Amino acid sequence: MTTASPAPELSLRDKPGFSDLQGVTVEHGLNTQDMVVNIGPQHPSTHGVLRLVTTINGEIVKDMEPVIGYLHRSKEKMAEGRSYFQYQPTIDRVEYLSSFYDHYVYVTAIEALADLKVPKRVEYIRMICMELNRITSHLLWFGTFLLDLGATSPFFYAFREREAIFKLFEDITGARMMYNYFRFGGVNADAPPGWLDDVRKVINELPFRFDEYEAIANKNPIVMDRCIGVGVTSYQDLLDYGVTGPSMRACGVAQDMRKTNPYSCYNEVEFDVPTATEGDVYARYKVRMAEMRESIRIVHQLLDNMPGGDSAELRKLEKEHAKVAEEIAAAKKRVTVAKKNEEAPNAADVAKMAEKAPELPFDYRTTGQKVNLMVFKPPAGEAFSMVESPRGMLGCYLVSDGTPKAYRVKWRGASFSNLTILPSMMIGNLYPDLMAIFGSLDIILPEVDR
Amino acid sequence: MSDASPPANKADKTPADDAPEPIQHGPLGKALADKGLTLEALGDDAVGNETLGVACADLLGVAKALRDDGFDLLLSVSGMDYKEYRQSVTHLYSTKTYQTVTLKTDAGGDDTVPSLVPIWPAADWHERESYDLMGIHYEGHPDLRRILMPIDWIGHPLRKDYKEEDPRLVWNRR
Repeated sequence: MTTASPAPELSLRDKPGFSDLQGVTVEHGLNTQDMVVNIGPQHPSTHGVLRLVTTINGEIVKDMEPVIGYLHRSKEKMAEGRSYFQYQPTIDRVEYLSSFYDHYVYVTAIEALADLKVPKRVEYIRMICMELNRITSHLLWFGTFLLDLGATSPFFYAFREREAIFKLFEDITGARMMYNYFRFGGVNADAPPGWLDDVRKVINELPFRFDEYEAIANKNPIVMDRCIGVGVTSYQDLLDYGVTGPSMRACGVAQDMRKTNPYSCYNEVEFDVPTATEGDVYARYKVRMAEMRESIRIVHQLLDNMPGGDSAELRKLEKEHAKVAEEIAAAKKRVTVAKKNEEAPNAADVAKMAEKAPELPFDYRTTGQKVNLMVFKPPAGEAFSMVESPRGMLGCYLVSDGTPKAYRVKWRGASFSNLTILPSMMIGNLYPDLMAIFGSLDIILPEVDR
Repeated sequence: MSDASPPANKADKTPADDAPEPIQHGPLGKALADKGLTLEALGDDAVGNETLGVACADLLGVAKALRDDGFDLLLSVSGMDYKEYRQSVTHLYSTKTYQTVTLKTDAGGDDTVPSLVPIWPAADWHERESYDLMGIHYEGHPDLRRILMPIDWIGHPLRKDYKEEDPRLVWNRR
């Protein structure tokens, strides 16, 4: 081996990058060929009906094209064919994991159009519902995300806590998932007596559960291997693709509508916007876990400062008011038709009494103005309202022409925009990382297809 | 808003004077108009977002100016059907000033509007959706095809005059 023999000339075939067939390349001395893998529409990890036409070479993703529309149920066209109130139940089905948010944008758009004042108690109840809904949505994400990575048990833990919160939703709205609870200028019904204490009980328990989850997952070598440094995005990429929500906050930008454009009563509560700087899958995981704790912090403050307190006290107060109202009505009757052997009360006195009749303060009510939902017509005009949903910025563009039916309702679903970034994140990445990256975006397909 | 100068002489009142006062530009529209861009003030929507009407020819210029002013996030592109004409409505958000602005562009008789993909790549799918459901063509879009409806669907379902008359569908054959 001492005498240097001339290096054997590489045949053309062995040269890197050589290709004699379409799609056949030679890498590291191996003939490889592009292969198209069709993921979905029915696939356990796509969380809905999504088709990903993926071209892979070896384990590297060369191209990816999401095909959507399998769940298109013409939600926007449906709005044009029914009254504003009749459309409401169908909203739940747009985004069934956090449908309080969809109702909230729809209802606030109409409230802005019709200039309806909303009592503070209503806003507080709405905020409690929304924040609890954020927790259930993130819990489901936590369970399914780890399920995608191969861990089965967190799924059951997450669903246990989710069910406890769903029980609270069932108590207040009557439904576990399809709430249809918010109304124009109010909510459907007040919280049942003792509900606030029930909420307190559940959310007191949750932080310990989250500690358990994080003990399982945070330092788990498999989770760390599959998440850290995977699916890194830059902030500019996210802006270019219109990605919002936890993915954006995982890039170090505290863009949260609750802080930047405070709606409802978010300027009255104290909370932080959790951020991370790495921009990878693990950062998104950490941001979501921290967000759940912030939500609990918000709910605690709302429970403590609920205008009117528990509804049992309010009902007692209302009964007293009703008794006074009855007395006044009786006195009014006696002014005109006095009883036998009795002097008719002075009409002026009765009028004064009626004026002083106690009334539930506006902020304690569950409906601001009485709205006849069946014939409700907001004035002609348009509104674009937005909310920070668990998946990002959710908007509703509502155009009214003054008739009882909406002229146009357009949903700006966060998932629709969030999905667009997936191909650019996947191209050049390992195929097995697909489910970790896709899972970390937290996309819900009914909202994409509407 | 009501600072418009009244007509000089009330005696020579023309029918045009009975029309509502022209809407004045909000701060954003004013800044853009000062840059020499032509746009129409359409007031605020019910939530308080400034709305600007932009002609097809001026859209890209206004969009570029808005992006340079910090409107870096395209929220949505909505197709609108006002029976006589189609309209493309773009909602933009600034992650610096936290404002939302609405751009309205009337499509001409050929239902064509310039595409915003070169300025905000996020417009890609939104414009495809608007094309699919409303039939607005986005000139300069790299890949304008249906997105939500099946690729061989006939017609644009969100149009007000849409009738689902595809003879291939079973229920239309009866």
